[in-house]
Amino acid sequence: MGELLNNQDSKLALVVDDSQMQCMVLSALLKEEGYRVFTANDGAKGVSMYIEHKPDLVLMDINMPVMDGYEATRKIKSLSHNSLCPLIFITSMDTDKAYIESIEAGGDGILVRPFSPEVFKAKIKSIQRISDLYGQVKSLQQEQQKDAELAEQLMSGVIEARNFALDKIGIVKQAATLFSGDIQLTSLCPNGNVNVLLGDFTGHGLRSSIGAIPLAETFRAMTRKGFSLQEIVVQVNRQLYDLLPSDLFLGAAFVTVSEHDKSAYILNAGLPDVYIFGGDGNIKHKIESSHPPMGVLPQLIPNTNLTVLSVEKNDRIALISDGIVEARNEKGEMFEFERFEASAKLGVASKNMSEQVLGDVMSFCEGMPQEDDISLIDIPCGGWEEEQSANDNIVSSFKDNTVEPDNQLPSAWKWQLTLSGKRLARVNPIPMALSQISEIEGESEHWQNLYTILTELFVNALDHGILELSSKLKSSAEGFALYFKERESRLAKLDTGFVDIQLSYHPLEKGGRVIVYITDSGQGFDFETYRKNAVDTQHEKQFSGRGILVLEQLCESLVYRENGTVVEASYVWGS
Amino acid sequence: MPISTRELKDVKQLIISIEERFDFSVHQKFREAYIQFEEPNTEFVLDLALTTYMDSSALGMILLLKDHAESLSGSVVIKNPSETVNKILEIAQFHRLLTIEN
Repeated sequence: MGELLNNQDSKLALVVDDSQMQCMVLSALLKEEGYRVFTANDGAKGVSMYIEHKPDLVLMDINMPVMDGYEATRKIKSLSHNSLCPLIFITSMDTDKAYIESIEAGGDGILVRPFSPEVFKAKIKSIQRISDLYGQVKSLQQEQQKDAELAEQLMSGVIEARNFALDKIGIVKQAATLFSGDIQLTSLCPNGNVNVLLGDFTGHGLRSSIGAIPLAETFRAMTRKGFSLQEIVVQVNRQLYDLLPSDLFLGAAFVTVSEHDKSAYILNAGLPDVYIFGGDGNIKHKIESSHPPMGVLPQLIPNTNLTVLSVEKNDRIALISDGIVEARNEKGEMFEFERFEASAKLGVASKNMSEQVLGDVMSFCEGMPQEDDISLIDIPCGGWEEEQSANDNIVSSFKDNTVEPDNQLPSAWKWQLTLSGKRLARVNPIPMALSQISEIEGESEHWQNLYTILTELFVNALDHGILELSSKLKSSAEGFALYFKERESRLAKLDTGFVDIQLSYHPLEKGGRVIVYITDSGQGFDFETYRKNAVDTQHEKQFSGRGILVLEQLCESLVYRENGTVVEASYVWGS
Repeated sequence: MPISTRELKDVKQLIISIEERFDFSVHQKFREAYIQFEEPNTEFVLDLALTTYMDSSALGMILLLKDHAESLSGSVVIKNPSETVNKILEIAQFHRLLTIEN
């Protein structure tokens, strides 16, 4: 069609009339308007010529042998529902009935003989104008459709295809008729925690997905580098605020699941309640939205804190977008939270929440067109550690190949950072240290272990050395949340003390060694008892102090000195 | 008429009322309701008493109105949202951004 439109001269007209005379007259007039003309002498032939030539305009007589004009018109219109080929009836029947029937058969106009050549040409022009307009609308619509498809493809094919642990995390994503900007991201932290985001951009189609790529990049890169969830939220908000126009923003729920700490860290900014279900399907917690969506405000509202909750390994965390609860059936009723909760409960029991809920929503809606994207993420709170311990084994085998420490070898480089006072509370030095290592030495799988070591040592120095928190707090069921709260309040008041971190990198013939040296200004802590507790409680799956044991496994050597205020850890890898 | 406006000159208010659906379909009309109005220190009152449905693009439209109001050193007040509409405002925590009077 495009080709013909580009060349006005080559427009095609089809004249269907059983009178040779009429055909000649109409053809002559059309040729004066720049049309090439085909003629047919009955309705049936008219239909077959329409199929063969796909004209831009049809002139149709009413009374003809074999097939009359109405019937031929109905056939032609049923063949051309995707493009508008204007069809005008030319008749001498000047009756209301003829007029009405010709329009009902699908005609776009009627011209009653006799008429002057000028009136005929004016009619052709006006009908052509409508058809051009129709063409424009059609191509705009197709463009919009393509944009929406592109957006959807971008979101699911490019961005979400890189998600982590799709085998463990249940995800439902059912895009609306017009894709409406839900985004689902999952990513693994260096310490084995899992970060998850469910977001809902305002708007529809491509417009709603401009923010998706930078969001995914930020979320993944920061998770990989070991930034905390709070830091990721701050950055995502700032980035979307800078990037998006005022009326575009992202309702989002952020979750970190830490099997190690038996905790979940959650921030709900503009999504329906986040649910935590027990293994039996009963609701343990609902976390409601406590912050405006991301990208609305230049900074987070002061004192915005993550919700920290203790979780068991059979618990499930469910994130949903409003598409589920607002899904409508034929009567206009919405699915609502009550139905979702009942459905999710069944889903937890049958260990397939995503399918259960999607199935229930679909059968509720009974094929009504879906107005909004339907999204659900179902995250298990346990079952992650097996993968971690598989990693630990690999590490141990490296240890076996290790050469004896040779301190004579000079270091290739050193890096050092001292944080003191308020900055201790505000700055996370671990991503800095790691980015230093990977900038100088390139990417390596061993940095993950180093991350774990650095984090564990730094957090010990800060929590036990500077903040003087007792790890005993962590032993009760709700303990970790309590610990975290106390930690937050002490951090907020912190204005003295320091932690000093030093790294030195020693290349070996095969692989290398990093020595981590951390000093803090605290009173020290009873390292021996701490370690003994960790060993004693290990088999009861008490996680407090477990970090020390992981460290001992990872490190070539780990020595606490000066009453626990100085620690030196050495990490070696073989190739 | 889905959107109507009323100006109360003595109290420097422009009241915008929205009937039935407040969503992307009224985007243009909503903008037209306030964009020509440039009186400094105006309080833009968004009367949602007759609004039955609101979606997230409406939230975006409210933020655009807020930008406009603030450029005139004015403010936005949302009045009389129904329970359903209020739920949506609550999820988006809009009471932290502007005044909502139930």
